[in-house]
Amino acid sequence: MRIDHTHKKWFAVSLVIFGVATAIYVPYAAQSSSGPRGGSAIGLTFGIVGSAFMIFAGLLAGRKKLPIWRLGRAQTWMRGHLWLGLLSLPIICYHAGFHFGGPLTAVLMVLVIIVVASGLFGAALQHYLPQMITVQVPGETIFEQIDHIRGQLLADADKLMASSAGIEDDSPAVAASGGLELATATVAVEDEIAPLRSFYVLEMRPFLANHGERHQLLADEDRAYSAFQGLRTLLPVNAQQTAKKLEAICDEERQLRRQAKLHHWLYYWLMLHVPLSFALLLLGCVHAFTALRY
Amino acid sequence: MAREERTTKKRAQRIDLNYFKRPHPLRRMRFWLSVGIPVLAVLWLAWHGFAGSNRIYSGGKMSAAHAVLTAKCDVCHVRTASSFSAKASDQACLSCHDGPMHHPNQVFTPQCSSCHEEHRGRMRLTATADVRCTQCHADLRTTGVPTEYVRDIEKFGDGHPEFAALRPGAVDPGTIKLNHAIHLKKNLKGPNGEPVAMGCEDCHRPPTSAQPLRFGATMTAPLAIARKADLPMAISERAYMAPVTYAKHCAACHGLQFDKRFTDGVPHDTPGVIHAFLVQRFQQYIATHPAELREAGPDRTLPQKPVPVAYRIVTPSQWVTERVSESEELLWRKTCKQCHALTIPSDSSLPAVAKSNITARWMPHADFNHERHQLLQCTACHGAALTSHETADILLPGIKTCEKCHNSSVDGAESRCFECHTYHDWTRQKEVKGNLMLDGLRRGQ
Repeated sequence: MRIDHTHKKWFAVSLVIFGVATAIYVPYAAQSSSGPRGGSAIGLTFGIVGSAFMIFAGLLAGRKKLPIWRLGRAQTWMRGHLWLGLLSLPIICYHAGFHFGGPLTAVLMVLVIIVVASGLFGAALQHYLPQMITVQVPGETIFEQIDHIRGQLLADADKLMASSAGIEDDSPAVAASGGLELATATVAVEDEIAPLRSFYVLEMRPFLANHGERHQLLADEDRAYSAFQGLRTLLPVNAQQTAKKLEAICDEERQLRRQAKLHHWLYYWLMLHVPLSFALLLLGCVHAFTALRY
Repeated sequence: MAREERTTKKRAQRIDLNYFKRPHPLRRMRFWLSVGIPVLAVLWLAWHGFAGSNRIYSGGKMSAAHAVLTAKCDVCHVRTASSFSAKASDQACLSCHDGPMHHPNQVFTPQCSSCHEEHRGRMRLTATADVRCTQCHADLRTTGVPTEYVRDIEKFGDGHPEFAALRPGAVDPGTIKLNHAIHLKKNLKGPNGEPVAMGCEDCHRPPTSAQPLRFGATMTAPLAIARKADLPMAISERAYMAPVTYAKHCAACHGLQFDKRFTDGVPHDTPGVIHAFLVQRFQQYIATHPAELREAGPDRTLPQKPVPVAYRIVTPSQWVTERVSESEELLWRKTCKQCHALTIPSDSSLPAVAKSNITARWMPHADFNHERHQLLQCTACHGAALTSHETADILLPGIKTCEKCHNSSVDGAESRCFECHTYHDWTRQKEVKGNLMLDGLRRGQ
């Protein structure tokens, strides 16, 4: 979600809530006999409000599971999640009087800080990365489909090479062996496109098959362009089209790699944010129970 | 361009339309982390629960005094079957130590925990906030008879009255005559006639001081300042100065000679004891010096003394009576009177000596510790001693002197009420019988 002018109202309301909370906290803390305490009336109020904000932020996960329920717009929930979740940090600090207290409360404070900090990091990523993906990855696809499409790209490339060698897809050679054998088997048949087949076997197919390799020739756009330029000078006219298609496949593979990398940034912070949020809510409930009792 | 060959439509056709039915590995990982981390949190709680330890629910470190109870939550947080709450109760506090009431006429009694806040770290529980005191003393109301104390004290520097001993009309009840200025002069005549310069510490020492006095007897046994029952607070043995006594502090310079026949003086005691001492000493003397019965009496020219005849013969008892009378005349009218207030009757009976009434503690409702202030010269606070000539001068420093250091500024010394005052009236303290055992305490069971 981009943080744009549509967040103005939420920003203003959050600012007002923060201002009111601070205006209450400062004199309260100054006049507290031995420092502010979570168990005092004001401290307890901060605790309830902060917990309510965190619970609301946590309900976003539930809202996503029920997309067709009439529970308000998803964007409103997201904005509430963002701003009220952010507000929960200072409110909880006011509740705790900026003390970590005992083991459980210390864990809770650490969790609140990590969850809010990771949320801020995620919000910043959500703000910048989609735009970056749009610019850098024109062929963007569904993130979960990237591996599926990569497989198709590899199959397409193998087919192209087979067709350039005059071998049909459903021939026994193709059926009996993988694409690699098909490509290598046809090298000797057509000497004219030998440079193309050699390039495919040595550079392109490993590039398409091994997604994790970073230092491949074709992983770099400029080096790949030069490589294909050089290759085309060695090929006859009837093989130029094949080379062009292979170059397009390489280009798409690079885009998919870039998209996967950027999407990992968009997802990895959630590995911290979401599980710790659940732990925070769970331990928060335990803390509320024990604090009210003791 | 190579990219133009692979159109969006072609790309869209490659999408597996059922992809959402199989969660992506990242989503699966997130799911399991979302389950696993809360489960870990529950296991953490359960582990402590099975171990019987509730310390993870502690609101913070215990005070130094109660640190040993960190694992013994239920010593203070007593659970009752009928109540959800297990907050620390006054009964729990009183089961280990008594907390006597402040004053019989107080209008309400605060809970222990309202002043002594626990779980705030390694701090002193007695370091209570001023507001705990001023909630009453800022507008003091009492039950029964009206209070004699100031009713509107906000803090040490705001509304706190001058010390009672220094208020107008207050007098020093002491009857011993002492001129501080003279005693602090240089070139005084010392015990052996040599010139000396006395300092405050030559007379004023804490009761447990081990160093010998320069001009007096060594202080071997602590001198009682005030019994605990007399004062509403416990005091350090080095907090106050021991009362000055003649035998230890004055005798070296101020002898009690009574006759030139003797080198020693009379005992520093009541007139009756002194009279008996004089009679005994002169009787012993004349028994060993019978020739003096035929000689002229001492040619001392004391006022109103009858002119002695050159020679006369007296009986031993007459001689003793005359010598005793002369000595007592010297003592009652000069030596003793130099320090004591004596009432000499018109007849020949013994004089009455006024009680010394030396005030050991000038502030009975406040605690002071000289030892904590030993970095200062005595005259930094008791400067008036250098120029004090009158016995009636009260040399207690005033509140302004204290406020020079003890104020609420950033670099000021502690100035909260508890620094000098104690809430509980320890004269009403009751003994408490403990109910904990060492093993259980250390195991946290």
